[in-house]
This record gives sequence, C-alpha cells and structure tokens, in this order.
Amino acid sequence: MTTIDASALFPGRATGDDPAQEPAAAAPGQAGPSYLTDGTTVWSWIATTDHKRIGVMYFVTTVFALAMGGAFALLLRAEHLTPTRTIVDAYTYNRLFTMHGIVMVWLFMIPSIPAAFGNFLLPMMLGAKDVAFPRLNLLSYYIYLVGSIWVLVALWMGGCDTGWTFYTPYSAHSPSAVVPTVFGIFIVGWSTILTGMNFIVTTHTMRARGLGWFRMPLFVWAMYGTSIIQVLATPVLAISLAIVGVDHALDWGLFDPARGGDPVLYQHLFWFYSHPAVYIMILPAMGVISEVVPTFCHHNISSYKAIAYSTLGIAFVGFGTWGHHMFVAGISAFDAGAFGVLSMLVAIFSAIKVFTWVFTMRAGSIVLRTPLVYFFAFLFLFVFGGMTGVAVATQSLDVHWHDTYFVVAHFHFIMVGGTLTAWLAAIHYWFPKVTGKMYSERWATLGAVLVFGGFFLTFFPQFLLGNAGMPRRYYDYDPVYQPLHVASTIGAFILGAAMLLVCIVLVVAIFTGERASANPWDSRSYEWYAPSPPPKHNFDREPAFGRGPYDYAEPFAGAAEFEASPEAKAGTS
Amino acid sequence: MSVRAAAHFEDIERQEQAARLGMWVFLASEILFFAGLFALYFAYRSEHPRGFDLGIARNTIAWGSVNTAVLLVSSYTVALAVHELRRGKPVAAAWLVGVTVALGLCFLCVKTGEYLEHFREGIYPAGAGAFFAENDEPGIKMFFTLYFCMTGLHAIHVIVGMGVLVALLVRVLRGSIVPAASYPLAVGAVYWHLVDVIWIFLWPLFYLTPGGLQ
Amino acid sequence: MSAAGATPSAKAARAPGEKRAAGAKETTARGLALTLFALLALAGLSLALRYAHLGAFGVPVALVIAGAKAVLVAVFFMEILVERVTVRLAMGTGIVLLGILLALIAADILTREPAPLTNPPGTEMRDRG
Repeated sequence: MTTIDASALFPGRATGDDPAQEPAAAAPGQAGPSYLTDGTTVWSWIATTDHKRIGVMYFVTTVFALAMGGAFALLLRAEHLTPTRTIVDAYTYNRLFTMHGIVMVWLFMIPSIPAAFGNFLLPMMLGAKDVAFPRLNLLSYYIYLVGSIWVLVALWMGGCDTGWTFYTPYSAHSPSAVVPTVFGIFIVGWSTILTGMNFIVTTHTMRARGLGWFRMPLFVWAMYGTSIIQVLATPVLAISLAIVGVDHALDWGLFDPARGGDPVLYQHLFWFYSHPAVYIMILPAMGVISEVVPTFCHHNISSYKAIAYSTLGIAFVGFGTWGHHMFVAGISAFDAGAFGVLSMLVAIFSAIKVFTWVFTMRAGSIVLRTPLVYFFAFLFLFVFGGMTGVAVATQSLDVHWHDTYFVVAHFHFIMVGGTLTAWLAAIHYWFPKVTGKMYSERWATLGAVLVFGGFFLTFFPQFLLGNAGMPRRYYDYDPVYQPLHVASTIGAFILGAAMLLVCIVLVVAIFTGERASANPWDSRSYEWYAPSPPPKHNFDREPAFGRGPYDYAEPFAGAAEFEASPEAKAGTS
Repeated sequence: MSVRAAAHFEDIERQEQAARLGMWVFLASEILFFAGLFALYFAYRSEHPRGFDLGIARNTIAWGSVNTAVLLVSSYTVALAVHELRRGKPVAAAWLVGVTVALGLCFLCVKTGEYLEHFREGIYPAGAGAFFAENDEPGIKMFFTLYFCMTGLHAIHVIVGMGVLVALLVRVLRGSIVPAASYPLAVGAVYWHLVDVIWIFLWPLFYLTPGGLQ
Repeated sequence: MSAAGATPSAKAARAPGEKRAAGAKETTARGLALTLFALLALAGLSLALRYAHLGAFGVPVALVIAGAKAVLVAVFFMEILVERVTVRLAMGTGIVLLGILLALIAADILTREPAPLTNPPGTEMRDRG
C-alpha cells in the first residue's frame, strides 16, 4: 500500500475497505493499460479523441499561458518599484498590462478549469466513456491552440496597448497590433463555444443509467452552468471584437461619434460578455471547492440543492449585471440603478455557497490536506474579494474607486484568490487520479501557504493604494504611493516563487512520487471508482450511482458491491 | 437494422438526441451572435431616427422582397426534403436539397447585385462614397454601415448553410444518410431555417420601415 | 465492461423531460405547404403595410409580423415542438438573453438625460497615430 491511503488518512475509519483500495493494477479484471500508456507515440496524443488526453493537453497549454501571463505581471510589478521609469518605457508598459490581461483571461483563466479539468472529469463523473462529440472536442482544442498562437503572433508584432477591454475610440486608432490580437481572441472564442456546447450535450445525453440530475457531482453542475454562459455570452464577445477589428483595419467607425456612433454601446456589448465571463472563471472554481470540501471533511455536503441551484442562479443573474462596469461611462442614472441592484443579487447566491461549505465543515471530521489548505485560502480571499465587490457595485462608492487600484485588487482577489487558488486545489486533489502518483504532502502544503502569503502581500496593498487615489494603468505615480507599491512587488515575486515551488513539487512527484491507490482521499465521488490513472474507457467497474457522490455514512463501496471478487466481498463484510 | 451508434454512445437514439441538442444549443449561440448587431441597430436608430428613415427609403424594396420570397421557399424545400427522406424517398430528398442550395445561390446573386448598385450610387460602408457628400447626416452613414455589416454577416451564414447542405446532399446520394436515421439531414435543415429566420427580421428593418417617409 | 451497465432502476431514473414530446407530430407535406403559404401571405401583408403610413408604429408592427413568421418557421419547419424539452429550453434561454441584452441597453439609451454623444466640429478622430 501507499503511505497515503484511506486507512492512513482516517485511522479507525473504513479500514475494512482496504482490499478495495488496492492499487488499480492489482484489481481483478483490470488487464488493459491506463489512458497514459494506451498508445505512447506522439501521434497517439495529437490525434487522440480521448477526453482525458485532451484535458491533459489543455492543461499543459494553459500552464504555458499562465507562465507567460505571470512573467508579464512580474515585469509590471518590477516597473512599479520606482515612481518613474524602472525597467521599461511607457509604451511597453501599456502593452505589458494589456497582454497580461489578454493572456490571463482568454488563454489561461477561461480554459483553465473548464477545458482542462472539465474535459478530464466530466465524462467520468457521469459514468460515460467520453464526451458526446469527441472529435469536436479535439477540434476545440486545436482552435484554442491556433487562437493562442495568433495572440503570440500579435505579441511578436509588438503586442496591443489598448488594455484587455479594447475600449473604443482608442482601439480603433491605436498604432499597436490590435487586429491580430482581437483575431486570436475571436478564434479562441469559438473553442469556448464548442466546448460549452459539447459539455451541455454530454451532461444531457451521456449520463449513465441510474444517474439522475441530483446525483451528479456538484462539479458537473458547475460545468453545466459555466457551459451555458460560454455558449450564450461568447458570441457577443466575438461580434464586438470582430467590430473592433473591422473598425481598426478598415476604419468603418461603428462607434465613431462623427459617423453616428456611440462608444458607450461598445462597452455595453463588451461587458455583456465580459461580466458573465467572470462567472466562466469563478463557477468552475466553486465546483472544485464543492468536491474538495466534502471529501476532506468526510461529510455529505450540507445542502446539495443549495449549491446546485445557486450555480444556475449565478449563471443567469450574471447576465444582467454588466452595467456596473459602466457607472461612470455615461449610462443613464436609471440604468445604473437597475444594474446596481441586479449586481447585488450575485452576492446572495455566492453567500449561499459559502455558508453551505462552512456548514459542511462544521458537521464533518476534517482531514487537513493540501487541497483543503487551498480551500481555506479560497474561502478567505473569495469572501474578502466578494465583499469588496458588493462595495464597488454601490454607485456612490464606485465613483471614488472606479479605475483605481481598488478595482484591480478586487478582481484579482476573485480571479487569483478565487479561481487560481481553486485551480491549484484541483491540481492537488485530482493529481493522483490523473497521474497515478502521490506528491509530497509537506512540500505541497508549504507551496500552498506561500501562494496565499505572496498573494495577500501583492494585492492587499493595492486596496489601500486604490482607496488613496492611485489610478490603474498609470505608468508614473506620485512618490507618496511608493512604499505600498514596493510591498506589492515583493508579494508578487513571493507569489511567483511559490508557483515555481508548486510546479517543481508536482513535476518531481510525477517522476518519483509513490503510486497512488484508486481512491487515496477516501472520496465517494464517482471518478474515484476508476483506477488511477484510469483506463481508456474510464471504468473497469460500475460506480455506485445509487448512493450519490457524497454518501459518507457508509464505507466506500469501491469494487465490493459490483465486482464478484471474493476478497472484496470479504473486505466489506 | 444497419444503423449503429458510435462506440461511446449507448444507442442510436441517444446519438440522435445528442446531435439535435447540439445543433439547437449552437443555434442559441448564433442568436446571441446576431444580438449584438441588432442591439446596435435599435440603439442607433433611436438616436438617429431621421437618418435611418432616409437610409431605408434609399433601399430597393423589390430586391429585398424577392430575396425574402426566395429564402422562404428555400426553407420549405429543405423541410420537404427531410419529409421525403423520412418517407423513404432519398432521391426526391436529394433533389429538394439541390433546389434549396440553388435558391441560396439565387439569394446571394440578388444580394451581390444589390451591393453593386449601392456601390454605383456611391454608397459604401463607413460613410465613404459620393452619396454621403450630399447626405452627410451621421445617422444615414451609420445606417449603411450597419446595413453592410448585418446583411454581410447574414450572407456569410447563407454561404456556410449552403456548404452544410451540399455536404449533406453528398451523404444522401452516397446512401450514408438513410431513412431509418435521417436526423443528420434534419439537423442541417434546422441550421438553414435559422438563416431564414434572421433574414425575416432583417428584411423589415432594412427595407420596410422608413418611418414617415415614402 | 460498459460504463452503462445493468443498474436495476435504469429507465425509471431518466428524467421525464429527456423524451421527445409525445403529443406533437412531425409536419405533414400538406402542413409544410400550408406553412409556406402562410409565410408568403404574412410577407405580403408586411410589404403592403410599408405603404400604409404607420409612422412610429411601422417598426413594432413589422417586428410583430416578423415574429409571427419566425414562430411559424420554428414550429412547422424546424419542428421545435416535436423536440425534447431541453431543446426548447436551450432556444428559450437564448431568446430570453437576447431580450435582456436589448432591454438593458434600451433602458440606458431611452433614459439618458443629455443628448447622445456627438463630437464638436473639427474634433473627429480620423488621423491615425
């Protein structure tokens, strides 16, 4: 047995399950290779239609995007060490923050959890062999790859300096490489739409017999809500960016006031996508948390339906809140009021989730492992970021904070403190399933603590800076702000180093880690019924769909209930 | 039954369900794709009512109306093709799909002729051209820019739809879409109908509603 | 073995909305022809109303007629009522979001206090760089 398995995690509990916990290769009936070893040529990877391999390919690509966006961020923070020029000139600074935003939002954050983990896990959680359209799934990956390469081409052509929002009229006249940048994002958008469509259809049509809607793991609900947003919001982004590209390349002036245009309408269309896009980023993170909390608290989620319905609630209410980005853009007072009220509703659904997770912990028996450490970081940072979100959705306060570092700090608390932390939790939680190896718990926990510390030191000072009046996207600043800028920069480099540490710990684990058992965390969710790593068609044995994914009242069924193996039967009796 | 489901599907019924749902979800996405431009149209029209009225009065009703009729009939022929295939008449279905593609081509020809006429009159997108030297109201410039954007994007959808139908026609002729599982043709036809529905809304907005003008 | 093995409650657990609608029927050849006739008639009506001096009502009336035509196409050509509930939900969600987009933008445009933005003469941003 491995050192970290159910009996080590939960002494005195579920020890009778041990035979079911044997490493997958030893289980009866498992003769086939895992998805990792079933075909080892390069072609067997690049032409695969296996959702698990496509998920891994997405993961690797998004990690490169994260590294690139992170490098831009470190350069930006280094620039702000002094009030005037430190390492780059003003034009380069503008292009750096633009490309940081573009790479992080569209190349990393949007596909990070849905496309990588969603692809790997969604069919397994539904008891399916694959997604509904496997070839379309592979095509989506290549569309994403081509779009990403286009963004790199744009970068090579000098990058774009409009900010990731491409606000007109500047984006129609900027001398930088606007057209290739928006074209790249346009292409990535199609990948997002097709992935979302694939996941919606998969959830509807590929569920195993016996798996009803309210027995699906909550991660599936999160993926479902995310997919709805992906399918219905992304086309509006596609059309707005297409217009920006046409405006820049052909000077059609669709938002040019001299030709009857209205720049505020661009902002309407852009935020109709880009605000729901925030929920494309945070809903999957919430889905991850909803899996991690029950597993490590070893308790049924305290209200399954509250989480499931609040997921759909966020997905739909999120479509009616975009105007809070435009309070000072010249929209009417009436519309601003409507958007302000609608924005507050999102906080209700988010709070329902937070209370449910916390209440689950209260009732559970907690086993502190790295994913749960990331959950604690998530909880603190997400609530902090969420509360400041309610604050900036208040119009009178927003007038003061708009376009300052306060807003920058707010959305980084959600995007990095929320999504990135949950992404890291997901990596650690499903690492044994994906790779079949265990990582060093001690080093991984150290990485988690450093990520939290580095993050907090980076972005907490930015709240203070913004409140004191430091505008965002400014190259030079008043020397009075320097101490807080320096603190933020130090934090950024700690965060960067922590991410590097996490990366090293996991890469080392892939090569030297101990073999993982099929269910090292003693979870009840369906993907853990498969061997680690799973075979090509996911399951050797039928998961216990009749019991639900969070049933901790009984020992893990494992093979015992469904496999006629004598040892397994003896183990549970 | 010779129709078998792909390996990862439980049965052919599930596979059909997946294909249909996939297409409809994609159509919902397409609606939102056009939604942005419709939003611009209504916003700009309410900001520049007179410019838009003048622009609509400039468009030739006959061209737009002929194209409306062409697309409505093409919707009928492709729906009839699905019907014939279900009844076990693949040859009739293939002919009807062919007629639909021909009608699509007809639509594009009329549209091209219309664009050329605009260019002759000096009407180009972006408020460029001799026409706007005399009619320099911002609203009329925006009207024609939107006109080219929206009808152009719709024409791209017509071309894509024709491509889909041609691919399906080939499959029907080869016998890989059989009456027992005719759903691929039905799914393709549904896309063609959406292209028709979008035109149903473009036609009055660009040809028929010149406000108080005649 | 197959992931979809033999669980006893197989059929019972499938949600009722997953089945194709029982009552609705696929359109007959006669139904298709009648639909085309109705569509052309509505198009003719729309065209006739073009000359009826409706003024401000022209756009809403034309859009109502267009909406009726779209419903005819969706019901009889696309056979949306024969499709599963999920299909109708997908389309309905798309249309609702279209409505939200238009409504909340209209709420801005129609309630703005100052005149819409127009550049003062001579300040157009035409030149690049």
